[in-house]
Amino acid sequence: MLLELHNIFKWVTQGGKRIFLLSDINLQVEEGEFISIMGPSGSGKSTLLNVIGMLDGFQEGEYNFLGESVHAMKEKNRSKLYKEYIGFVFQAYHLIDELTVYENIETPLLYKNIKSSERKALVADMLDRFNIVGKKDLFPSQLSGGQQQLVGVARALIAKPKLILADEPTGNLNSKQSEEIMQLFKELNQEGVTIIQATHSETNAAYGSRVLHLLDGRRDHK
Amino acid sequence: MIRNYFKIALRNLWKNKGFTAINLLGLVIGMTAVILIGTWIQNELSFERFHTNEKSLYKVYNRSTGPGEISTWDITSGPLGKALENDFPEVENSARIYWSAERLFGVGDKSIKTKGNEVDGSFLRMFSFPLLQGNSDDALEGVNNIVITKTLAIKLFGDTDPINKEIKIDNETNYKVTGILKDLPSNTAFDFEYLISLKGNETKYSGSDAWGINTFYTYIQLKPNTLIVHFNEKIKNLVERKSDKYKWEIFLYPVSQSHLYSRFENGKVAGGHIETVRLMAIIGGLILLIACINFMNLSTAQSQKRAKEVGVRKVIGAGKSSLISQFLCESILLAAIGGILALVIAAVYLPYFNQLIEKSLMINFLNPLLWLGLGGFVLFTGLLAGSYPAFYLSSFTPVKVLKGAFKGVKSSFNPRKTLVVLQFSVGIALVIATIVIYQQINFTQNRATGYNVNNLVQVRIEGDIKKNYDLIKTELLSARAVTAMSKTGWGVTVDGSNGSGFKWDGMEQENLNFSLYRTGGNFAKTMDLKLVDGRDIDFSLFPGDSSSVMINETAVKKMGLKDPIGKLIRKDDSALTIVGVFNDFIIGSPYDDVRPMLVFGSVDGVYNIVMRLNGLNDTAKNLKIAADVFSKYNPAYPFTYHFVDQEYAEKFKDEKQIASLSSLFAGLTIFISCLGLFGLAAYMAQNRSKEIGIRKVLGASVGGIVKMLSKEFIMLVVIAIVIAVPISWYFMSEWLQDFTYRIDLEWISFVYAGVGTLLIALLTVSFQAIKAAIVNPVESLKTE
Repeated sequence: MLLELHNIFKWVTQGGKRIFLLSDINLQVEEGEFISIMGPSGSGKSTLLNVIGMLDGFQEGEYNFLGESVHAMKEKNRSKLYKEYIGFVFQAYHLIDELTVYENIETPLLYKNIKSSERKALVADMLDRFNIVGKKDLFPSQLSGGQQQLVGVARALIAKPKLILADEPTGNLNSKQSEEIMQLFKELNQEGVTIIQATHSETNAAYGSRVLHLLDGRRDHK
Repeated sequence: MIRNYFKIALRNLWKNKGFTAINLLGLVIGMTAVILIGTWIQNELSFERFHTNEKSLYKVYNRSTGPGEISTWDITSGPLGKALENDFPEVENSARIYWSAERLFGVGDKSIKTKGNEVDGSFLRMFSFPLLQGNSDDALEGVNNIVITKTLAIKLFGDTDPINKEIKIDNETNYKVTGILKDLPSNTAFDFEYLISLKGNETKYSGSDAWGINTFYTYIQLKPNTLIVHFNEKIKNLVERKSDKYKWEIFLYPVSQSHLYSRFENGKVAGGHIETVRLMAIIGGLILLIACINFMNLSTAQSQKRAKEVGVRKVIGAGKSSLISQFLCESILLAAIGGILALVIAAVYLPYFNQLIEKSLMINFLNPLLWLGLGGFVLFTGLLAGSYPAFYLSSFTPVKVLKGAFKGVKSSFNPRKTLVVLQFSVGIALVIATIVIYQQINFTQNRATGYNVNNLVQVRIEGDIKKNYDLIKTELLSARAVTAMSKTGWGVTVDGSNGSGFKWDGMEQENLNFSLYRTGGNFAKTMDLKLVDGRDIDFSLFPGDSSSVMINETAVKKMGLKDPIGKLIRKDDSALTIVGVFNDFIIGSPYDDVRPMLVFGSVDGVYNIVMRLNGLNDTAKNLKIAADVFSKYNPAYPFTYHFVDQEYAEKFKDEKQIASLSSLFAGLTIFISCLGLFGLAAYMAQNRSKEIGIRKVLGASVGGIVKMLSKEFIMLVVIAIVIAVPISWYFMSEWLQDFTYRIDLEWISFVYAGVGTLLIALLTVSFQAIKAAIVNPVESLKTE
């Protein structure tokens, strides 16, 4: 078991009323799964991903990750945990504009204090694998959306995470680029990386081994 | 990692060139000011610290308790030094130095006037003024020996070896050069180009009553580990013991302290130059703080741009501390660039700064301490300026900033605003200070001097002038180059002597202290003084005038005299007759009240000529004639003269220096603050472009929008004015307390400072506001 959510509730108070962003979410994810979360805008897909990614908290419920109780953890340990095991891919890529492709991919390794020679090797592997060696000295603004997302995925993978959280990874891409990225996810999944993606697209959702529907912050079991 | 930080920092700085330029400009100005001030302070603190014996060198002071006050002075009697050396085993060495005099030096047909002292031979052994040629141990042990500085040696002898050559001084005596001094460093209060051996002249300056006549500065070198407090207790009554007559006490004061702590009040150290040093340190610190505040403001204003980066970095593994280090690296990098630029600018600007502070400071680029200091300074500035932005930026939470919902801080208490208020408070306070100082100077400069300072020229009596004075006078008068001239004790702008103990009939106030002055006659006429009563001193008409005295109106008042002419003023055994009363004139500080003054008729002890040039002639023509006449009767000396109006203007030198410095720093502060304001306004305009667009679509006018955008900033300046006014009011009233003759603080000067600053700020802000307001709303709304 990679992670487990039990009766997760998350809300904000507005005008004295609770507005539920997530309510009573239960979810178990085994290692090696590829899960798609679907639902309309505002249904809580991103919020759920953020909770799973430990970027965001919740008010009620239990969250266990690799047997550790995330809900009982201190902020510091929690961020240590997600830095170790989770990689993020965003709809808007969120590359650092001032860094080259190479440096963007390298940055997570810097924060893990990995030695320079080792870093070089790891980044070179990654560039190789994604076929972007020729673009390593370009800046994000010089790349197409698909290429930027490729870099985004490479950056998420470089630290060898167990879990990749992708929030509408193809939302800004055309269909051909989308397909490439989804294909890549499928390959990664086959290599053993657990993936949870949020998506609008039935086609993309179909890449997953399991689909989870959300509506107004609840699981929609119909 | 660090390299990575610097790389990103450079790219970021380059990407936002405008902000970087404004930020850097502010920082460079601030750092330049600090480097200049720092160089100055360093120089001040290093005074007399270069002597190898620095810790054991002392100057002897006298202390005498008079009615109501203890006075302290540092001129001592001739035998004192040797007596200390002989009677106390703690004393290693002693040296006397006779006060500085300008002498005429002749070598061949070359003659130069130059300044120096007569000293005991031990002086060179005690103090570290090294000889480039000759031997410090005995260079000044022989009669008529002289050592001269390298610079003077080159002036006098050119390339030839000066050792054992002769110099004729004052056209009288030949002195043998026995050593070449290294030129004096800038951090010493000693000021000589030559030193003459006192040997053979020991008694010349003390006469018979050796213990009673104070003519020398005496320096003592104590043996190591002597406890100065105990030693001072032991020597306290030495003068009384030795002379059996004079009751003043003596004490030793460290030479290393004598520059910074030189003012004695009531027998105790009460400060001195250290006060200026402290003031400058505070001003330097404030300017640096203001420049750093700019940095903080501009950096946090840019936070929106950086927010996404912070979010991404956190998601991919950055901890808060690594982000803080990254932002600090960035600010340190900027500070380093600023520091290098500032050093270059400081070096270029140093000559002007030297002129302003009348020093000859230098930046020694080869000194490793300079680079160490600069490194520390850059680090300090970088950390100070970067701390707030670093902590602020690194605290963003990724979920919020990556969602794109991030919109700066909106609370009404905004640290950025507080910082702007702080900046402007300091700036406005400095502006007010500058205005008040200038007003005070103006006020005093416009004070009636009591005599006509124009066309008045002074010449020192030297060489054959004394002998030929009457001939010179007759010739100048008949050539109509001058209309009147008078011999006096010293210059008419110097309150050189004062004394009490005078008695007269009907005396009410004991021990009235008078300014004392001497004239050889025609003083009132030459000075254009109004004779209120009686006549001028004039030996040609009244040969007995050496027992006559003129007094000023204040003296008449203070002495309580009804009909002063013919009354006697007595001191000890002598009696002087009052022959004239003249109107008050300023001889001492123009900031003080005029003191009661006695002008004695005297043919001796007059060393100065003051003459009134003929106002009907061209000044140049008058001076040409004077030069010819003086050269004719005093051929060995070049004709040198001084204009009294220029010497009078010298009295304002210190205050003018303070005024120039304060206006310089006030200007810089306001400028840096406005740079920050400019950046903030740009940021705000950019941030609110959508709001401005919507308002325009809804019908707002350009004027209305400019007003809306400027209002907030102007409020900050107004708050700053409210803070600055009472503070500067307090400090400037304190400052004015030092002057008897002073202005009252006027509210109008505060209004000037406030309104002026407000206008400058308004101009700065409205530039951005107008730019933002005239944008076509279609543009700004499209981008959202």
